[in-house]
Amino acid sequence: MRRKFRFFLSTLLVLVAASGVSAATTLRYATIAEPPSLDQQVLTSDQATTIAQHIFEGLYTFNKSYDPVPMLVDKENISADGKTITLTLRQGVKFHNGKEMTSADVLASLNRWGVYGVRGPVLYAHIERVEASSKYVVRLVFKDVFAPWKSLLAFINGGPVIYPKEVAETATKQPILENQYIGTGPYKFIERNPGRYILLEKFADYVSRTDAPDGYAGKRTAIFDRIQFIPVTDVGTRVNGVKAGDYDYAEQISGDLYDMLSADPSIVTVVNEGVMMPLMFFNSANGPMKGNAKLRLAILAALDSTAALQVAVGPKNLWSANGSFMPKGTSWYSQAGLEVYNQKKPALAKSLAAEAGYKGEKITFMVSSSYKIHNDIGLVFTKQLKDAGFNIDLQIYDWATLVSKRGDPKQWDMFFTTHGFVPDPILFSFMSDAYPGWWATPEKQALAQDFTSTLDDKPRRDAWTQVQKLIYQQVPVMKVGDYFMYDIYSPRMQSFGESQLIWPKFWNVSFK
Amino acid sequence: MRLFLPLYMAEGKAFDGAQAMLKFILRRIVGILPSLFLVSILVFSFVHLIPGDPIQILLGDMATKAQVDAVRQEMGLDKPIWIQYGKWIGGVVTGNMGNSIFFGQPVLSVIGDRAETSILLALLTLVLILAIGIPVGYLSATHYGTRLDQTISGVSMGFASIPTFWLGLSLMTFFAVTLKLFPSSGFPSILKTGNWANIRYLILPAITLSAPNSALIIRLTRASMLDVFKEDYVRTARAKGLRESSVNILHVFRNSMNSLVSALGFTFAGLVSGTVVTETVFSLPGIGKLVVDSVLRRDYPVIQGIILCIALLYMAINLLVDIAYGWLDPRIRYN
Repeated sequence: MRRKFRFFLSTLLVLVAASGVSAATTLRYATIAEPPSLDQQVLTSDQATTIAQHIFEGLYTFNKSYDPVPMLVDKENISADGKTITLTLRQGVKFHNGKEMTSADVLASLNRWGVYGVRGPVLYAHIERVEASSKYVVRLVFKDVFAPWKSLLAFINGGPVIYPKEVAETATKQPILENQYIGTGPYKFIERNPGRYILLEKFADYVSRTDAPDGYAGKRTAIFDRIQFIPVTDVGTRVNGVKAGDYDYAEQISGDLYDMLSADPSIVTVVNEGVMMPLMFFNSANGPMKGNAKLRLAILAALDSTAALQVAVGPKNLWSANGSFMPKGTSWYSQAGLEVYNQKKPALAKSLAAEAGYKGEKITFMVSSSYKIHNDIGLVFTKQLKDAGFNIDLQIYDWATLVSKRGDPKQWDMFFTTHGFVPDPILFSFMSDAYPGWWATPEKQALAQDFTSTLDDKPRRDAWTQVQKLIYQQVPVMKVGDYFMYDIYSPRMQSFGESQLIWPKFWNVSFK
Repeated sequence: MRLFLPLYMAEGKAFDGAQAMLKFILRRIVGILPSLFLVSILVFSFVHLIPGDPIQILLGDMATKAQVDAVRQEMGLDKPIWIQYGKWIGGVVTGNMGNSIFFGQPVLSVIGDRAETSILLALLTLVLILAIGIPVGYLSATHYGTRLDQTISGVSMGFASIPTFWLGLSLMTFFAVTLKLFPSSGFPSILKTGNWANIRYLILPAITLSAPNSALIIRLTRASMLDVFKEDYVRTARAKGLRESSVNILHVFRNSMNSLVSALGFTFAGLVSGTVVTETVFSLPGIGKLVVDSVLRRDYPVIQGIILCIALLYMAINLLVDIAYGWLDPRIRYN
């Protein structure tokens, strides 16, 4: 018996010893969920972008101040009328299949994105033609002046990453296959094992920019040999995994753990500066909200965003009751229209609702239980609105059901979602007339035209201020505030700086 | 050997008995086919009836209705439901369950990857359950009414009541974070790497799962044995002077095994297909979590494939349990 026990113990010790074996230069990143395809042109999944930005690159990217700056482009030339843009590509850039990137690859990639890409048609609606003038020169000829062209080319999420011509020309509406994940980035795709990991490996022939690193821009050096993205859905497991040394980095930790983890010496917390915006959309196409701005203003008057953010997010430094659609610190920040934001005046709400002709009709409010923050803010707002006399019919669905129902204007009056940070307001979902809520008033369309038809910064920013003012008059959407997610990592990692950008990136980062 | 031989074999009627069993098995297998067909219709209908669009989930928040419709058309999801069903069931018959909408990989390969985790975890848990549940249940039954029996009953009720997520996280915090004896989460494939040391990833999840299930088997072993204690043949065995341990093992325990086999069979099936919480806590790529994730993503081909496989598993286990009855209780006839 004793011998058997000894055998069991020694077997156990061998197993335990084996658990310590791991490659020193493999970064293990615990993700909150599995991404769908990594095809950046047709998908807008943040999980996919976090991984794909290491594999694929676009013509432009964003620097630390979120200005669009060249990535695969060497230099640009804009014609005097602003309608012809000539882009000279960097020479010698290699794809992961060993082929050199040329204008033919860029042309095929832009055309696929322009037709099938999720954000491509926004740009291509203004484009007359795109042509490859020579091996390294691409020319974009616009029908009219379209100011946000560079931001659209720089935004990698749903953006025009450059694939080899052979991939882009055969790609359709559906995401490309895994064997077509060929980019120009510092890491190449190795394999995906569903439920277990996505594995990337350092691309030995990567041709980096030489300018100093600046946000997503500048020199990129792959230091880790491999990066493994591992889906770990439970937040407690992500935290324990980093503490136990099984993961080096874990994303999106819950707010209630922030103070405790910030004081833990075995973990480093890092706030993600890509602000998240909870938004409540109103139905402009059907129901009691249609054409009734006063009723929407009444709802706005009743709401207390501070209380909602406190309940949903927690620690004070992870949220801010900010009504400006572009966050503080960006050149787009504006206080226009904010006098009606976060008023917390149920009495005023009642009188405005009466003026709007509201007689207690049912208001259907859809919220998703799939995301804690949606659920929490939805519950707080429902209570506040009921207290102010509104007949709220709260309907809680999983995200897939909510997304399906919100496409039908007859099924809802208000719904809740979250919008990620965008470097240019043109990328806001509600700027599209087709986004659920269907805000397409003549005033909006006129201001949107002003906003996109000048290349100069000052008039563009002034036009955006007017758009925000209009939002607070017509109330197609209500911004609750800003909140920030935070990640944790092992103290053995270095070179992160004080905050992460929208999608954590791992070039120029190493172990100590 | 005699102990586990059915009567028809022990009496030298092996040929007749084997033929009867073969007929029984064939009859049951033929009976499985219409059940599976019915399951396929039900699961296909239910999956397509729930609201939600897999393409909208795949393409994301910013995709317009036109873009979603275009991909839906390209994937054939706009076709009438009976045409989609015909295409799918035609593929299933030839061993092709289609491709996952979310992963873009063949459904069978996605399920196969997860099955490795779930089957190994279920087997490891079953070993723990048997190693704990049966001896402790036996001890409890043979010491019926004593303080030992009461203690075992109380403790097993306690284990049965522990929430799995709490136990899992506690074990993880103590053994993985504090002692660093086991990995906290995940499970690298043994089949792909050939590294059997990866089994260590399943030890904490197996302990987590075995706690409530062992408690169940303890209670069941105890209750089944107590029922058999009242039988006449037990009294006879004692009357003819057999040792108490022989009576307990050969007459009482053996005759209480039928209900145990049935419970263990379905516990195994449940462990393979329904351990979502444990799989989530330990981040294991298993079947249970795949079902839940696929439902949330509305990944129709994966949901259909997996439900069909789970139905098949339950039917197979049911058949195996019925066959085992004959081996354990020679009075049972297959014809």
